[in-house]
Amino acid sequence: MKRRRQRADLLAHAALIFFLGLTAIPLLFVVNNSLRSNFEMDHTFFGLPRALTSGDFHTLFLSYREAWDVLRAYTLNTILVAAVTAIGVVGLGSVSAYVFSRYKFPGHRFIFLFVLSFMMIPGVLTLVPSFLLVKKLGLLNSYWVLILPYITGGQIFSIFLYKSFFDGLPGELFEAARMDGAGHFRQYWSLVLPLSKQVTSVVLVVSILGTWNNFLWPFITNSDAKYHTISSGLYAMSNSAAATNYSTMYAGYVLASIPVLILFLYATKPFMAGVTSGAFKA
Amino acid sequence: MKALRQISALLVVGASIWFLWPPSPQLSASQVKAGSKGDRKYVLHVSPGLYMPGRRLNPGDPPLKQLQLVADEFEKLNPDTRIEFEDPPTGEREWLVIQLASGTAPDIVNVNVGDVWQDVQKGWYVPLDKWLERPNPYVKPGEPGSKQWWDIFKYQAITRGKAAPDGNSYCVTLDMIETGIFYNKTLFRKLGIAPPKDWADFERIETIIKKAGIVPMLASVDSLADWGLDLTFDQLYRDIRPTLALRMDPRRAKYLKAYLDWDELCFLHKKGFFTKDDPRWREIFRLLKKWRPFLPKDLGSTDNIREFVVGDGAMLWMHSELVDRLVRDPNLNFDWGVFYLPPITSVTSRFGIGAPECVIGGAATQFEVTNSAFGDTKDPETSERLKRCMSFLQFVTLPRNCQRITNETSALLPNAVGTEPRPEMKVFDTILKRDFATTKWEYTFDLRFTEVLNRMLLLYMEDGISLDGFMDWIDSNVDLATANIERRKNLDLSPFEPLWKRAAPLRAHMKELPVEAR
Amino acid sequence: MKQGKGLARALPLYGLLTPTLGLLAIFSLVPFLWAFWTSFFDYEVGGESRFIGLANYIEFFHDPSSGPSMLNMFALTMFGVVVTLVFPLAVARLIFCLSNERARYVYRVLFLVPIVVPGIASTLIWRSMIYGDHGLVNETLQFVGLGHLARGWLSDPFTALWAVAFIGFPFAGGINILIYYAGLSSIPESVQDAAQLDGASGPRKFFRIELPLLMSQVKLLLILVVIGGFQSFEGMLVLTKGGPGFKTMLPGLWMYLNAFSFERMGYACAIGVVLFVMIMILTIVNLKYFHSAEQLQEART
Repeated sequence: MKRRRQRADLLAHAALIFFLGLTAIPLLFVVNNSLRSNFEMDHTFFGLPRALTSGDFHTLFLSYREAWDVLRAYTLNTILVAAVTAIGVVGLGSVSAYVFSRYKFPGHRFIFLFVLSFMMIPGVLTLVPSFLLVKKLGLLNSYWVLILPYITGGQIFSIFLYKSFFDGLPGELFEAARMDGAGHFRQYWSLVLPLSKQVTSVVLVVSILGTWNNFLWPFITNSDAKYHTISSGLYAMSNSAAATNYSTMYAGYVLASIPVLILFLYATKPFMAGVTSGAFKA
Repeated sequence: MKALRQISALLVVGASIWFLWPPSPQLSASQVKAGSKGDRKYVLHVSPGLYMPGRRLNPGDPPLKQLQLVADEFEKLNPDTRIEFEDPPTGEREWLVIQLASGTAPDIVNVNVGDVWQDVQKGWYVPLDKWLERPNPYVKPGEPGSKQWWDIFKYQAITRGKAAPDGNSYCVTLDMIETGIFYNKTLFRKLGIAPPKDWADFERIETIIKKAGIVPMLASVDSLADWGLDLTFDQLYRDIRPTLALRMDPRRAKYLKAYLDWDELCFLHKKGFFTKDDPRWREIFRLLKKWRPFLPKDLGSTDNIREFVVGDGAMLWMHSELVDRLVRDPNLNFDWGVFYLPPITSVTSRFGIGAPECVIGGAATQFEVTNSAFGDTKDPETSERLKRCMSFLQFVTLPRNCQRITNETSALLPNAVGTEPRPEMKVFDTILKRDFATTKWEYTFDLRFTEVLNRMLLLYMEDGISLDGFMDWIDSNVDLATANIERRKNLDLSPFEPLWKRAAPLRAHMKELPVEAR
Repeated sequence: MKQGKGLARALPLYGLLTPTLGLLAIFSLVPFLWAFWTSFFDYEVGGESRFIGLANYIEFFHDPSSGPSMLNMFALTMFGVVVTLVFPLAVARLIFCLSNERARYVYRVLFLVPIVVPGIASTLIWRSMIYGDHGLVNETLQFVGLGHLARGWLSDPFTALWAVAFIGFPFAGGINILIYYAGLSSIPESVQDAAQLDGASGPRKFFRIELPLLMSQVKLLLILVVIGGFQSFEGMLVLTKGGPGFKTMLPGLWMYLNAFSFERMGYACAIGVVLFVMIMILTIVNLKYFHSAEQLQEART
């Protein structure tokens, strides 16, 4: 029995490592090439960075320094926008989901479905009118032009998640709290929120990832490079004269991934617990 | 364990703050010299393209700084103005259109004039003739430019030729660029071949190179749809050009001998030219397809420079900016040279007459002034900001400034009288002396035309569609494009009919005209 | 739970919902209505606009590119559905059957790592691998002696769509894996034990017992993949811009090009409205179908 277990395990491990390897190939390729200079890459395709073997650490990280020159400001922008958006999405999402979940008022089902239906609008359909709208509102070239639409879009998914979580909370919990004299707000703030830590972390991660990945909207709305986000900055770089400067581009990709990597180092546990908690079903 | 996590969290936060702390601006030293930053009344946003200060053309290059130095001098002379350089994606049409429509584009941009011509009727760009016809205040009396700013430019024909078909000039051309066929001299020597005299010769040497296992000609479908089409068009329609060039605009005739504008093209199209029944039109694409076996496997690739530099390709059709890359590559192990496209003779095509191939393009850095520049008073006539923008352009185009900016790199040729390009660029100087092309298809019509042309050409080259199928597509594409442009620009084609009739005797001797045109 | 006694009681609740609804109204509803309105006009950015009724929709119907675009969209979405159903599920199942708890945790984390790369970077990375005569893929083929297969994957009309679909291989996305894993771990022990006792193990257990119990996860991912597949075009914009010809064109991309490059806003909006209607119909069908399938399942077990 144990032998069979071990053999099954070994096969599973082999298959998983195979998958991981395939997934990792592009990443390794990028990291390797970010350390080589353009000229190197042109002349020998496969190979370790020359600077690595010669111990020349200055040139080894030259492309990283160049990429960082460009991306530094963008990183700050992206973190700022992502943080405010995440807070907004969590706040608005949880409050609205709480209202939908706990209270039955006239039209609550209709309004809920109405809110959810916005997920079906193709993003690009509203791209231009949204642009014209924010121009009229005078929001162009600012952080708000990114934050407000992101919150608008992100809250839908957040409401969806929070509501299915709240729906699953047992009624006795609230009974007990009410008997203790807790009003609506206290119920929400001190009882429900702490319980939803895991769902919150899922919402946070999804929201931050969404903000991080979105490149088209910031690209269009912020002509002033000051306000570029990392993704739109990378897209702009890939279409500018710097595009053929491969080592710098690759270094840029690596640098763009690092903040999210750090986020994941801290958020993985609650995130996984949140996904596993079963709130993720339709 | 918990303590470890907390310490590492603090470390991460600390490191992030250190990394993200805004550094002292790179160019603050020069800015401080030029005067304190905050209290300058006019701040001009300039998007200079290639010469963006701080950019490294190749990794390991020192960052570009000449343009910044010129701007600093300008700021000293004009204490109420500050120049800020930025590098937005002006090459991305979508981005540019949105910014211009909302009035948030940079004040001075560097946009290819073809894109500009598309939108001149919208008031997005300022017509510059007023300034160009007046003296340049920075020029000493007696020097070129002291009577008219126009005179300061070295390549007069091309510079004036950038006037839009509506008669106005919207751009100031700082420097010149040209395409050429870069070739691997060492390889040529080894194979015993030399730059070709005509197209048949060209095919001969390409076959030899291909037998040797090397890609003969590196070109992407974009260059074929743009340069390839224009050059071949010029070659094949040369013998009937006298009847095509209906209008000889006195303002432009001197500099653009027989250029066909959009209204002429629309009129000619109605007469049956540029349709699937126009044998010359068909022949252009047949010839381009014949070139396919000698081109790289991936026509959509933009990696051709790399292939050339490594020696995987013998020839590369590229513009002069490549020179900078070639002279600075430490690993380049062959001699290189440049020759121009050889003419098409009757051996290759029954319409070829062996005329020397013309030039296309020419102007590289073309500065336009956008509607943001007069945003202070919304009226170009009264705007003070606009005056400062023009002043900056006048200053930049002075020979001594033009020379130092352009020659900081080996990419382009300076366009001011009395300047000389770098020695390695001389060959392009010679090329620029050729005649200008008959017309430039991708500049004339809208982007839908260009988009459909490019993608259908790629499909055709890759055997995804037959020549007939392709001609059908292009036919409807030209139909749509001409209909569109007539509507958008309110074109009036009636003046051409009498001119056309008058040219009938010329046509009597011409062969294989489309049916309606005979 | 409190019962809402009429509107008066509900007012503070509406008040709480105002930020959400307000934001939606301003940034989602208004643009959508504007786009819908514009689809009946011929509008050029910066130019004039004139009313042309349903002409845009008729043109879309006759546009030679719309047929291929729709087909491509369906093909890619179908492919995405299959791929999302198979690979992450397989990986999740493999992880699940490991006996070591720690190993299961480690693998789940490891599969999350590729997600940190921003989407655009990932697309650009893949593009640089497939591109050119000497991209990674072609070079590898040469290396193993299959050089004659090397080609311009993204510009060859016969391989372009497949090349685009292939990007992201092996499609083992960390979040999807986690979702499936959650579903697997929520299968009660009793069911597992009962299956064991009945002698069902391996593939039979998987297909007969586990998969049906994962239906709600499957449904969620299905909806997300379909909605995403219908809308997304940014990847295609970066990779092929819809070429060669119209072999990889997508309606979303054509909409984008028409709106921003060709400046034909009205036509672009018409395309968008058509897409919206399609997505809406599909989502409703999806929900209804799976709802009834689930009910059937529950009735059976």
